[in-house]
Amino acid sequence: MNATHPSIRVTVGHQPPPAAAPGAFAEASPELQQAFTPPIDIHEGPDGLTLEADLPGATEANLFIQLEDNVLSLHARIEPPAPEGARTLHEEYHVGDYYRSFILSDEVDRERITAELRNGVLRLVLPKADRARARRIEIRS
Amino acid sequence: MNGTQWQGRWDPLRELQREVGRLFDSLDPFQPLRNVRQYPPVNVYDAGEGYILSAQLPGVAAEEVELTITGETLTMRGERKRPEGVKDDSYRRQERPVGRWSRTITLPDRVDSTQVSATFTNGILTVNLPKAENARPRHIAVNSGS
Repeated sequence: MNATHPSIRVTVGHQPPPAAAPGAFAEASPELQQAFTPPIDIHEGPDGLTLEADLPGATEANLFIQLEDNVLSLHARIEPPAPEGARTLHEEYHVGDYYRSFILSDEVDRERITAELRNGVLRLVLPKADRARARRIEIRS
Repeated sequence: MNGTQWQGRWDPLRELQREVGRLFDSLDPFQPLRNVRQYPPVNVYDAGEGYILSAQLPGVAAEEVELTITGETLTMRGERKRPEGVKDDSYRRQERPVGRWSRTITLPDRVDSTQVSATFTNGILTVNLPKAENARPRHIAVNSGS
């Protein structure tokens, strides 16, 4: 179930967010909020993969992307949309953090990964490492 | 969301109706299909002076949403497009919804439609709906009848 593409593996199933994360995570509210798995798209181009994740409510300041060994994880902390004291009348989505992790293969050039957040969508570009790119081999006569 | 019971009053007949409804639901072979989640998901809050509606619409720009309000009915519609220049067969995984969407929401009470404002930040549409003057709770002074 995990093998979607040789260059990236998406771990399926619920995973808890990192319990002891450094820096900004430590400021979290005492009770650990429930983390949701955001939906993602992955598409492949000649230069590598593009991963897009729906993270409505995420801002650059509260989105943390981490690459550790071969695990790329994203964690977004979400603030409630309503002012304090407002009463919930109807709820179709729960407000909470997002967390998801991916396993990268050596084919991804880790140094050149870029991320862009726009309108609540995170776009991660995972370029292919040079040696993984198709190369034309000249045949000498 | 039409027909949502806003008042939390206890109504024995409604309880009975709900029980009977549940009984019939259990005989309905299409029941799983009826529970398909509506897009976009919407939350409604009561902030005293007005209602706040928030909808999750990631990847949509403010100018791509059409919002109309008539009386107690709020309608929003738009389209979520796939990124251009990406071929179908290049997708390795596709979980995010695409396509046209529209939703109609019946508000719990009358709102002052001239004062409605909406903001769109980080993929969340927030609509502020001030309650109509005569729908707001009013403090009535009680005179002593001396």
